[in-house]
Amino acid sequence: MTTHNVDSKGTACPGPITDLIRAYRKASNGDIIILQATDPGVVPDSKAWCGMTKNELVSTEENNGEYVVTIKVTAKK
Amino acid sequence: MIKIAMIGGGAGGLITTSKLSSELSEEIKQGKVSITIFDRRETQEFQPGYLETAFRGTKPEKLKKPVDNLISKGVKIVHADCTSLDLDNHQILTERNQERYDFDYVIVSTGCSPDYSQIPGLKEANMDFYTDADVSSRIYSTLQTIKSGRIVVGIAGLPYKCPPSPNEAAFMADEYLRRHDLRQNVDITFITPYTRIYTAEPINEVIEPLYSERNIESRTVFNTDYVDPTKKEIISLEGDTVKYDYLFLTPPHKPAEFLRGTDFADDEGWVKVDKRDLHITDHDYAFAIGDTTNIPTSKAGVEAHLEGLVVANNLVMSVTGEGTKHFFTGRTQCSMETGFHRATFVVGTYDKPVKKIRPSVTNYAEKKVMEKIYWASLEGHYEWLFKYHFKRDYFAENPS
Repeated sequence: MTTHNVDSKGTACPGPITDLIRAYRKASNGDIIILQATDPGVVPDSKAWCGMTKNELVSTEENNGEYVVTIKVTAKK
Repeated sequence: MIKIAMIGGGAGGLITTSKLSSELSEEIKQGKVSITIFDRRETQEFQPGYLETAFRGTKPEKLKKPVDNLISKGVKIVHADCTSLDLDNHQILTERNQERYDFDYVIVSTGCSPDYSQIPGLKEANMDFYTDADVSSRIYSTLQTIKSGRIVVGIAGLPYKCPPSPNEAAFMADEYLRRHDLRQNVDITFITPYTRIYTAEPINEVIEPLYSERNIESRTVFNTDYVDPTKKEIISLEGDTVKYDYLFLTPPHKPAEFLRGTDFADDEGWVKVDKRDLHITDHDYAFAIGDTTNIPTSKAGVEAHLEGLVVANNLVMSVTGEGTKHFFTGRTQCSMETGFHRATFVVGTYDKPVKKIRPSVTNYAEKKVMEKIYWASLEGHYEWLFKYHFKRDYFAENPS
Protein backbone atom coordinates (compact mmCIF):
# COMPACT_ATOMS: atom_id res chain seq x y z
CA MET A 1 0.00 0.00 0.00
CA THR A 2 1.30 3.42 -0.95
CA THR A 3 0.20 6.81 0.31
CA HIS A 4 -0.02 9.51 -2.36
CA ASN A 5 0.17 13.02 -0.93
CA VAL A 6 -1.37 15.56 -3.28
CA ASP A 7 -0.88 19.24 -2.55
CA SER A 8 -3.58 21.30 -4.27
CA LYS A 9 -3.42 24.22 -1.88
CA GLY A 10 -3.90 27.53 -3.66
CA THR A 11 -5.72 26.03 -6.62
CA ALA A 12 -9.40 26.45 -7.31
CA CYS A 13 -11.88 24.27 -9.18
CA PRO A 14 -11.00 22.23 -11.15
CA GLY A 15 -7.47 22.20 -9.69
CA PRO A 16 -8.00 19.82 -6.75
CA ILE A 17 -10.19 17.36 -8.66
CA THR A 18 -7.73 17.43 -11.57
CA ASP A 19 -4.89 16.64 -9.19
CA LEU A 20 -6.98 13.88 -7.59
CA ILE A 21 -7.71 12.26 -10.96
CA ARG A 22 -4.03 12.44 -11.95
CA ALA A 23 -2.98 10.82 -8.66
CA TYR A 24 -5.69 8.16 -9.03
CA ARG A 25 -4.27 7.14 -12.41
CA LYS A 26 -0.92 6.34 -10.76
CA ALA A 27 -2.42 4.59 -7.71
CA SER A 28 -3.36 0.95 -7.13
CA ASN A 29 -6.23 -0.58 -5.18
CA GLY A 30 -5.54 -0.27 -1.47
CA ASP A 31 -3.48 2.89 -1.88
CA ILE A 32 -4.40 6.02 0.05
CA ILE A 33 -4.66 9.45 -1.59
CA ILE A 34 -4.39 12.40 0.78
CA LEU A 35 -5.60 15.51 -1.02
CA GLN A 36 -4.83 18.87 0.58
CA ALA A 37 -6.63 21.96 -0.72
CA THR A 38 -7.76 25.43 0.22
CA ASP A 39 -10.75 25.47 -2.14
CA PRO A 40 -13.87 24.54 -0.12
CA GLY A 41 -15.28 22.92 -3.26
CA VAL A 42 -12.81 20.08 -2.77
CA VAL A 43 -15.10 18.42 -0.20
CA PRO A 44 -18.33 18.14 -2.26
CA ASP A 45 -16.34 17.47 -5.45
CA SER A 46 -14.37 14.65 -3.81
CA LYS A 47 -17.54 13.19 -2.29
CA ALA A 48 -19.24 13.23 -5.69
CA TRP A 49 -16.17 11.75 -7.37
CA CYS A 50 -15.88 8.93 -4.83
CA GLY A 51 -19.59 8.18 -5.08
CA MET A 52 -19.49 8.02 -8.86
CA THR A 53 -16.25 6.04 -9.18
CA LYS A 54 -16.99 3.76 -6.19
CA ASN A 55 -13.75 4.64 -4.41
CA GLU A 56 -13.87 5.01 -0.64
CA LEU A 57 -13.99 8.43 0.97
CA VAL A 58 -12.21 7.78 4.27
CA SER A 59 -12.45 11.26 5.83
CA THR A 60 -12.61 14.99 5.27
CA GLU A 61 -11.11 17.51 7.68
CA GLU A 62 -11.03 21.30 7.78
CA ASN A 63 -8.53 23.29 9.77
CA ASN A 64 -8.17 27.08 9.42
CA GLY A 65 -9.29 27.08 5.80
CA GLU A 66 -7.22 24.08 4.78
CA TYR A 67 -9.02 20.92 3.76
CA VAL A 68 -7.65 17.40 3.88
CA VAL A 69 -9.55 14.71 2.00
CA THR A 70 -8.46 11.11 2.46
CA ILE A 71 -9.50 8.55 -0.14
CA LYS A 72 -8.84 4.84 -0.33
CA VAL A 73 -8.52 3.52 -3.87
CA THR A 74 -10.87 0.57 -4.21
CA ALA A 75 -12.54 0.79 -7.62
CA LYS A 76 -9.80 -0.18 -10.03
CA LYS A 77 -10.11 -3.45 -11.95
CA MET B 1 25.77 43.08 -22.59
CA ILE B 2 22.65 41.71 -20.89
CA LYS B 3 21.59 38.51 -22.65
CA ILE B 4 17.91 37.52 -22.55
CA ALA B 5 17.12 34.00 -23.74
CA MET B 6 13.63 32.87 -24.74
CA ILE B 7 13.30 29.11 -25.02
CA GLY B 8 10.36 28.51 -27.34
CA GLY B 9 9.08 30.54 -30.28
CA GLY B 10 5.37 29.86 -29.95
CA ALA B 11 2.68 32.39 -29.13
CA GLY B 12 4.00 33.13 -25.63
CA GLY B 13 7.60 33.47 -26.78
CA LEU B 14 6.74 35.78 -29.67
CA ILE B 15 4.44 38.07 -27.66
CA THR B 16 6.95 38.34 -24.83
CA THR B 17 9.94 39.08 -27.05
CA SER B 18 7.83 41.57 -28.99
CA LYS B 19 7.18 43.58 -25.83
CA LEU B 20 10.77 43.21 -24.67
CA SER B 21 12.22 44.39 -27.99
CA SER B 22 9.81 47.28 -28.15
CA GLU B 23 10.56 48.54 -24.65
CA LEU B 24 14.30 47.83 -24.81
CA SER B 25 14.81 49.05 -28.39
CA GLU B 26 17.34 51.73 -27.39
CA GLU B 27 19.35 49.31 -25.27
CA ILE B 28 19.35 46.79 -28.15
CA LYS B 29 20.53 49.47 -30.61
CA GLN B 30 23.33 50.47 -28.24
CA GLY B 31 24.44 46.84 -27.88
CA LYS B 32 23.57 46.76 -24.19
CA VAL B 33 20.88 44.09 -24.49
CA SER B 34 20.35 41.08 -26.74
CA ILE B 35 17.22 38.94 -27.05
CA THR B 36 17.47 35.45 -28.58
CA ILE B 37 14.74 32.89 -29.22
CA PHE B 38 15.69 29.21 -29.28
CA ASP B 39 13.29 27.08 -31.33
CA ARG B 40 13.84 24.51 -34.05
CA ARG B 41 10.53 25.23 -35.81
CA GLU B 42 10.56 27.23 -39.02
CA THR B 43 6.76 27.54 -39.05
CA GLN B 44 4.30 28.79 -36.45
CA GLU B 45 0.75 27.46 -36.49
CA PHE B 46 -2.52 29.01 -35.36
CA GLN B 47 -3.40 26.29 -32.86
CA PRO B 48 -7.00 27.39 -32.11
CA GLY B 49 -7.63 26.73 -35.81
CA TYR B 50 -7.00 23.00 -35.46
CA LEU B 51 -10.67 22.39 -34.63
CA GLU B 52 -11.70 24.24 -37.81
CA THR B 53 -9.32 22.06 -39.79
CA ALA B 54 -10.62 18.90 -38.14
CA PHE B 55 -14.35 19.57 -38.32
CA ARG B 56 -14.83 22.18 -41.06
CA GLY B 57 -12.08 21.31 -43.48
CA THR B 58 -9.96 24.48 -43.25
CA LYS B 59 -6.76 23.77 -45.17
CA PRO B 60 -3.74 23.29 -42.88
CA GLU B 61 -1.73 25.78 -44.97
CA LYS B 62 -4.09 28.55 -43.86
CA LEU B 63 -2.95 28.06 -40.26
CA LYS B 64 0.77 28.40 -40.92
CA LYS B 65 3.24 31.29 -41.08
CA PRO B 66 7.03 31.35 -41.22
CA VAL B 67 8.42 32.06 -37.75
CA ASP B 68 11.06 34.39 -39.16
CA ASN B 69 8.29 36.69 -40.42
CA LEU B 70 6.78 36.95 -36.94
CA ILE B 71 9.88 37.86 -34.99
CA SER B 72 10.08 41.45 -33.86
CA LYS B 73 12.87 43.81 -34.89
CA GLY B 74 15.93 43.41 -32.74
CA VAL B 75 15.17 39.81 -31.76
CA LYS B 76 17.46 37.01 -32.99
CA ILE B 77 16.48 33.39 -33.42
CA VAL B 78 18.56 30.23 -33.17
CA HIS B 79 16.71 27.48 -35.02
CA ALA B 80 17.58 24.73 -32.58
CA ASP B 81 15.70 23.28 -29.64
CA CYS B 82 17.07 23.48 -26.14
CA THR B 83 18.18 20.09 -24.83
CA SER B 84 19.37 21.21 -21.42
CA LEU B 85 18.88 24.24 -19.22
CA ASP B 86 21.42 24.85 -16.47
CA LEU B 87 19.96 27.62 -14.34
CA ASP B 88 22.77 27.68 -11.78
CA ASN B 89 25.42 28.24 -14.45
CA HIS B 90 23.20 30.40 -16.71
CA GLN B 91 23.65 28.15 -19.73
CA ILE B 92 21.49 26.67 -22.47
CA LEU B 93 22.62 23.63 -24.41
CA THR B 94 21.02 23.20 -27.84
CA GLU B 95 20.63 20.19 -30.09
CA ARG B 96 22.63 21.92 -32.83
CA ASN B 97 26.17 20.63 -32.45
CA GLN B 98 25.66 20.70 -28.70
CA GLU B 99 26.26 24.46 -28.72
CA ARG B 100 26.17 26.31 -25.43
CA TYR B 101 24.70 29.77 -24.92
CA ASP B 102 25.05 31.98 -21.87
CA PHE B 103 22.24 34.12 -20.55
CA ASP B 104 21.55 36.63 -17.83
CA TYR B 105 17.79 36.12 -17.94
CA VAL B 106 15.89 33.16 -19.33
CA ILE B 107 12.21 32.57 -20.06
CA VAL B 108 10.90 29.06 -20.72
CA SER B 109 7.91 28.98 -23.06
CA THR B 110 8.05 25.53 -24.57
CA GLY B 111 4.36 24.65 -24.30
CA CYS B 112 3.13 21.09 -24.14
CA SER B 113 2.27 18.33 -26.58
CA PRO B 114 0.24 15.11 -26.71
CA ASP B 115 1.66 12.24 -24.66
CA TYR B 116 0.33 9.03 -26.13
CA SER B 117 2.68 6.90 -24.04
CA GLN B 118 0.35 7.21 -21.02
CA ILE B 119 -2.55 5.32 -22.62
CA PRO B 120 -1.78 2.05 -24.40
CA GLY B 121 -3.54 1.66 -27.73
CA LEU B 122 -4.59 5.30 -28.00
CA LYS B 123 -1.98 6.28 -30.58
CA GLU B 124 -3.02 3.52 -32.98
CA ALA B 125 -6.74 4.21 -32.59
CA ASN B 126 -6.98 7.97 -32.29
CA MET B 127 -6.92 11.06 -34.47
CA ASP B 128 -6.34 14.31 -32.60
CA PHE B 129 -6.62 18.03 -33.18
CA TYR B 130 -3.65 18.95 -30.98
CA THR B 131 -0.51 17.56 -32.62
CA ASP B 132 -0.46 19.94 -35.61
CA ALA B 133 -2.59 21.22 -38.47
CA ASP B 134 -1.75 18.35 -40.83
CA VAL B 135 -2.69 15.71 -38.25
CA SER B 136 -5.91 17.61 -37.51
CA SER B 137 -6.85 17.50 -41.19
CA ARG B 138 -6.98 13.70 -41.03
CA ILE B 139 -10.13 14.00 -38.93
CA TYR B 140 -11.90 15.94 -41.68
CA SER B 141 -10.82 13.41 -44.28
CA THR B 142 -12.30 10.68 -42.09
CA LEU B 143 -15.50 12.64 -41.36
CA GLN B 144 -16.17 12.82 -45.09
CA THR B 145 -16.25 9.02 -45.26
CA ILE B 146 -18.56 8.43 -42.29
CA LYS B 147 -22.03 7.16 -43.10
CA SER B 148 -22.96 5.50 -39.80
CA GLY B 149 -21.49 4.32 -36.49
CA ARG B 150 -20.29 5.98 -33.30
CA ILE B 151 -17.86 8.86 -32.89
CA VAL B 152 -16.26 9.12 -29.45
CA VAL B 153 -14.75 12.42 -28.38
CA GLY B 154 -13.67 13.68 -24.96
CA ILE B 155 -10.84 13.69 -22.47
CA ALA B 156 -8.58 10.64 -22.40
CA GLY B 157 -6.20 12.00 -19.78
CA LEU B 158 -4.99 15.01 -17.81
CA PRO B 159 -3.67 17.60 -18.17
CA TYR B 160 -4.42 18.83 -21.67
CA LYS B 161 -4.44 22.17 -23.42
CA CYS B 162 -7.44 24.29 -24.35
CA PRO B 163 -9.96 23.06 -21.75
CA PRO B 164 -13.15 23.59 -23.82
CA SER B 165 -11.78 21.90 -26.96
CA PRO B 166 -13.08 18.35 -26.25
CA ASN B 167 -16.59 19.79 -25.82
CA GLU B 168 -16.17 21.88 -28.95
CA ALA B 169 -15.27 18.69 -30.82
CA ALA B 170 -18.59 17.15 -29.74
CA PHE B 171 -20.58 20.19 -30.86
CA MET B 172 -18.69 20.62 -34.13
CA ALA B 173 -18.98 16.93 -35.03
CA ASP B 174 -22.70 17.21 -34.33
CA GLU B 175 -22.97 20.28 -36.56
CA TYR B 176 -21.08 18.59 -39.40
CA LEU B 177 -23.31 15.50 -39.29
CA ARG B 178 -26.53 17.54 -39.12
CA ARG B 179 -25.47 19.72 -42.04
CA HIS B 180 -24.78 16.57 -44.05
CA ASP B 181 -28.03 14.88 -43.00
CA LEU B 182 -26.12 12.05 -41.32
CA ARG B 183 -26.80 12.71 -37.68
CA GLN B 184 -29.59 10.13 -37.45
CA ASN B 185 -27.10 7.45 -38.50
CA VAL B 186 -24.16 8.48 -36.34
CA ASP B 187 -24.02 8.51 -32.53
CA ILE B 188 -21.70 10.86 -30.64
CA THR B 189 -20.39 9.96 -27.19
CA PHE B 190 -18.39 12.32 -24.98
CA ILE B 191 -16.21 10.81 -22.25
CA THR B 192 -14.54 12.65 -19.38
CA PRO B 193 -12.81 11.71 -16.11
CA TYR B 194 -14.52 14.66 -14.40
CA THR B 195 -17.85 14.44 -12.59
CA ARG B 196 -19.45 16.92 -14.99
CA ILE B 197 -19.48 17.42 -18.77
CA TYR B 198 -17.54 20.64 -18.16
CA THR B 199 -15.56 20.93 -14.95
CA ALA B 200 -16.62 24.46 -14.03
CA GLU B 201 -20.21 24.23 -12.79
CA PRO B 202 -21.45 27.54 -14.33
CA ILE B 203 -20.38 26.44 -17.81
CA ASN B 204 -21.64 22.92 -17.20
CA GLU B 205 -25.07 24.38 -16.45
CA VAL B 206 -24.98 26.07 -19.84
CA ILE B 207 -23.80 23.17 -21.98
CA GLU B 208 -25.39 20.15 -20.30
CA PRO B 209 -28.84 21.01 -21.74
CA LEU B 210 -27.25 21.39 -25.16
CA TYR B 211 -25.89 17.85 -24.95
CA SER B 212 -29.46 16.63 -24.34
CA GLU B 213 -30.89 18.79 -27.13
CA ARG B 214 -28.29 17.60 -29.62
CA ASN B 215 -28.54 13.99 -28.49
CA ILE B 216 -24.85 13.80 -27.53
CA GLU B 217 -24.34 11.00 -25.01
CA SER B 218 -22.01 11.74 -22.10
CA ARG B 219 -20.05 9.38 -19.86
CA THR B 220 -18.67 11.24 -16.84
CA VAL B 221 -16.04 9.85 -14.40
CA PHE B 222 -14.75 7.68 -17.23
CA ASN B 223 -11.02 7.28 -16.51
CA THR B 224 -9.53 5.91 -19.70
CA ASP B 225 -7.09 3.11 -18.94
CA TYR B 226 -6.34 1.80 -22.42
CA VAL B 227 -7.78 1.44 -25.90
CA ASP B 228 -8.18 -1.83 -27.75
CA PRO B 229 -7.97 -0.85 -31.43
CA THR B 230 -8.83 -4.38 -32.58
CA LYS B 231 -12.12 -4.54 -30.68
CA LYS B 232 -12.61 -0.77 -31.04
CA GLU B 233 -13.16 -0.37 -27.32
CA ILE B 234 -12.03 2.14 -24.69
CA ILE B 235 -11.59 0.53 -21.28
CA SER B 236 -11.68 2.55 -18.07
CA LEU B 237 -9.63 2.07 -14.92
CA GLU B 238 -12.80 0.73 -13.31
CA GLY B 239 -13.33 -1.83 -16.06
CA ASP B 240 -16.14 -0.09 -17.95
CA THR B 241 -16.13 -0.14 -21.74
CA VAL B 242 -17.16 2.34 -24.42
CA LYS B 243 -17.30 1.15 -28.01
CA TYR B 244 -16.30 3.39 -30.89
CA ASP B 245 -16.06 3.37 -34.64
CA TYR B 246 -14.20 6.69 -34.88
CA LEU B 247 -12.04 8.06 -32.08
CA PHE B 248 -11.17 11.76 -31.78
CA LEU B 249 -10.06 11.88 -28.15
CA THR B 250 -7.99 14.51 -26.37
CA PRO B 251 -4.77 12.84 -25.23
CA PRO B 252 -3.00 13.80 -22.00
CA HIS B 253 -0.23 16.32 -22.60
CA LYS B 254 3.40 16.50 -21.53
CA PRO B 255 5.94 19.31 -21.23
CA ALA B 256 9.19 19.50 -23.21
CA GLU B 257 11.44 16.54 -22.55
CA PHE B 258 14.46 18.54 -21.31
CA LEU B 259 12.48 19.78 -18.31
CA ARG B 260 11.85 16.34 -16.82
CA GLY B 261 14.23 15.51 -13.98
CA THR B 262 15.32 19.09 -13.36
CA ASP B 263 15.14 20.55 -9.88
CA PHE B 264 12.94 23.39 -11.10
CA ALA B 265 10.19 21.13 -12.48
CA ASP B 266 7.80 18.74 -10.78
CA ASP B 267 8.03 14.98 -11.25
CA GLU B 268 6.25 15.19 -14.62
CA GLY B 269 8.39 18.08 -15.88
CA TRP B 270 5.97 20.99 -15.43
CA VAL B 271 8.00 24.03 -14.39
CA LYS B 272 7.41 25.23 -10.83
CA VAL B 273 6.79 28.97 -10.88
CA ASP B 274 5.29 31.63 -8.70
CA LYS B 275 1.74 31.91 -9.99
CA ARG B 276 1.76 35.72 -9.71
CA ASP B 277 5.13 36.84 -11.11
CA LEU B 278 6.07 33.62 -12.97
CA HIS B 279 9.64 33.43 -11.70
CA ILE B 280 10.98 29.91 -11.46
CA THR B 281 11.18 28.82 -7.85
CA ASP B 282 14.49 29.90 -6.27
CA HIS B 283 15.73 31.62 -9.44
CA ASP B 284 14.76 35.28 -9.76
CA TYR B 285 16.42 35.62 -13.17
CA ALA B 286 14.49 32.72 -14.68
CA PHE B 287 10.81 32.59 -15.66
CA ALA B 288 8.34 30.26 -17.31
CA ILE B 289 5.09 31.11 -19.04
CA GLY B 290 2.22 29.35 -20.77
CA ASP B 291 1.40 25.67 -20.94
CA THR B 292 4.76 24.51 -19.59
CA THR B 293 4.16 25.79 -16.05
CA ASN B 294 2.49 23.97 -13.18
CA ILE B 295 0.29 26.91 -12.16
CA PRO B 296 -3.42 26.26 -11.60
CA THR B 297 -4.79 27.90 -14.73
CA SER B 298 -5.95 26.67 -18.10
CA LYS B 299 -3.33 25.63 -20.60
CA ALA B 300 -4.40 28.14 -23.22
CA GLY B 301 -2.96 30.92 -25.36
CA VAL B 302 -4.48 33.76 -23.39
CA GLU B 303 -2.56 32.70 -20.29
CA ALA B 304 0.72 32.60 -22.19
CA HIS B 305 -0.10 36.05 -23.58
CA LEU B 306 -0.89 37.74 -20.27
CA GLU B 307 1.88 35.93 -18.38
CA GLY B 308 4.38 36.91 -21.07
CA LEU B 309 3.44 40.57 -20.74
CA VAL B 310 3.91 40.42 -16.97
CA VAL B 311 7.33 38.80 -17.30
CA ALA B 312 8.40 41.24 -20.02
CA ASN B 313 7.33 44.23 -17.94
CA ASN B 314 9.21 42.99 -14.89
CA LEU B 315 12.29 42.12 -16.89
CA VAL B 316 12.36 45.59 -18.48
CA MET B 317 12.09 46.99 -14.96
CA SER B 318 15.09 44.90 -13.87
CA VAL B 319 17.15 46.02 -16.86
CA THR B 320 16.29 49.73 -16.83
CA GLY B 321 15.54 50.21 -13.14
CA GLU B 322 12.36 52.02 -14.10
CA GLY B 323 8.66 51.17 -13.87
CA THR B 324 6.53 49.20 -11.46
CA LYS B 325 6.23 45.47 -11.01
CA HIS B 326 3.24 43.65 -12.53
CA PHE B 327 1.56 40.41 -11.46
CA PHE B 328 -0.50 37.83 -13.37
CA THR B 329 -4.16 37.75 -12.36
CA GLY B 330 -4.84 34.19 -13.52
CA ARG B 331 -7.24 35.52 -16.13
CA THR B 332 -8.60 32.95 -18.52
CA GLN B 333 -10.69 33.62 -21.60
CA CYS B 334 -11.29 30.36 -23.40
CA SER B 335 -13.92 30.38 -26.12
CA MET B 336 -16.13 27.34 -26.46
CA GLU B 337 -17.91 26.97 -29.73
CA THR B 338 -21.27 25.22 -29.33
CA GLY B 339 -21.96 24.84 -33.04
CA PHE B 340 -24.14 26.70 -35.52
CA HIS B 341 -22.33 30.02 -35.05
CA ARG B 342 -22.71 30.24 -31.32
CA ALA B 343 -20.08 30.26 -28.58
CA THR B 344 -19.63 30.82 -24.88
CA PHE B 345 -16.52 31.88 -22.99
CA VAL B 346 -14.87 30.39 -19.92
CA VAL B 347 -13.84 33.53 -18.04
CA GLY B 348 -12.27 33.68 -14.59
CA THR B 349 -9.20 34.68 -12.60
CA TYR B 350 -7.36 33.36 -9.56
CA ASP B 351 -9.77 35.30 -7.38
CA LYS B 352 -12.97 35.30 -9.43
CA PRO B 353 -14.68 32.00 -10.24
CA VAL B 354 -15.82 31.15 -13.74
CA LYS B 355 -18.92 33.03 -14.80
CA LYS B 356 -22.04 31.65 -16.42
CA ILE B 357 -22.06 32.95 -20.00
CA ARG B 358 -24.71 31.69 -22.37
CA PRO B 359 -23.76 30.79 -25.94
CA SER B 360 -24.52 33.54 -28.43
CA VAL B 361 -23.79 34.72 -31.93
CA THR B 362 -22.09 37.78 -30.42
CA ASN B 363 -19.63 35.56 -28.53
CA TYR B 364 -18.98 33.65 -31.73
CA ALA B 365 -18.27 36.93 -33.54
CA GLU B 366 -15.85 37.93 -30.77
CA LYS B 367 -14.05 34.60 -31.15
CA LYS B 368 -13.76 35.24 -34.88
CA VAL B 369 -12.35 38.74 -34.28
CA MET B 370 -9.69 37.21 -32.04
CA GLU B 371 -8.81 34.81 -34.84
CA LYS B 372 -8.46 37.67 -37.31
CA ILE B 373 -6.05 39.61 -35.14
CA TYR B 374 -4.08 36.59 -33.90
CA TRP B 375 -0.99 36.94 -36.10
CA ALA B 376 -0.74 40.69 -35.58
CA SER B 377 -1.14 40.21 -31.82
CA LEU B 378 1.94 37.98 -31.74
CA GLU B 379 3.91 40.97 -33.00
CA GLY B 380 2.55 43.18 -30.26
CA HIS B 381 -0.23 44.90 -32.17
CA TYR B 382 -3.70 45.34 -30.67
CA GLU B 383 -2.41 45.42 -27.09
CA TRP B 384 -4.66 48.45 -26.59
CA LEU B 385 -7.60 46.21 -27.45
CA PHE B 386 -6.56 43.44 -25.06
CA LYS B 387 -5.95 46.01 -22.33
CA TYR B 388 -9.41 47.47 -22.89
CA HIS B 389 -11.01 44.02 -23.02
CA PHE B 390 -9.36 42.53 -19.93
CA LYS B 391 -9.48 45.76 -17.93
CA ARG B 392 -8.38 45.08 -14.33
CA ASP B 393 -7.48 41.51 -15.18
CA TYR B 394 -4.85 42.59 -17.76
CA PHE B 395 -2.33 42.64 -14.93
CA ALA B 396 -2.32 43.34 -11.19
CA GLU B 397 -0.17 45.87 -9.37
CA ASN B 398 -0.19 43.81 -6.19
CA PRO B 399 0.57 40.14 -5.69
CA SER B 400 -2.83 39.37 -4.18
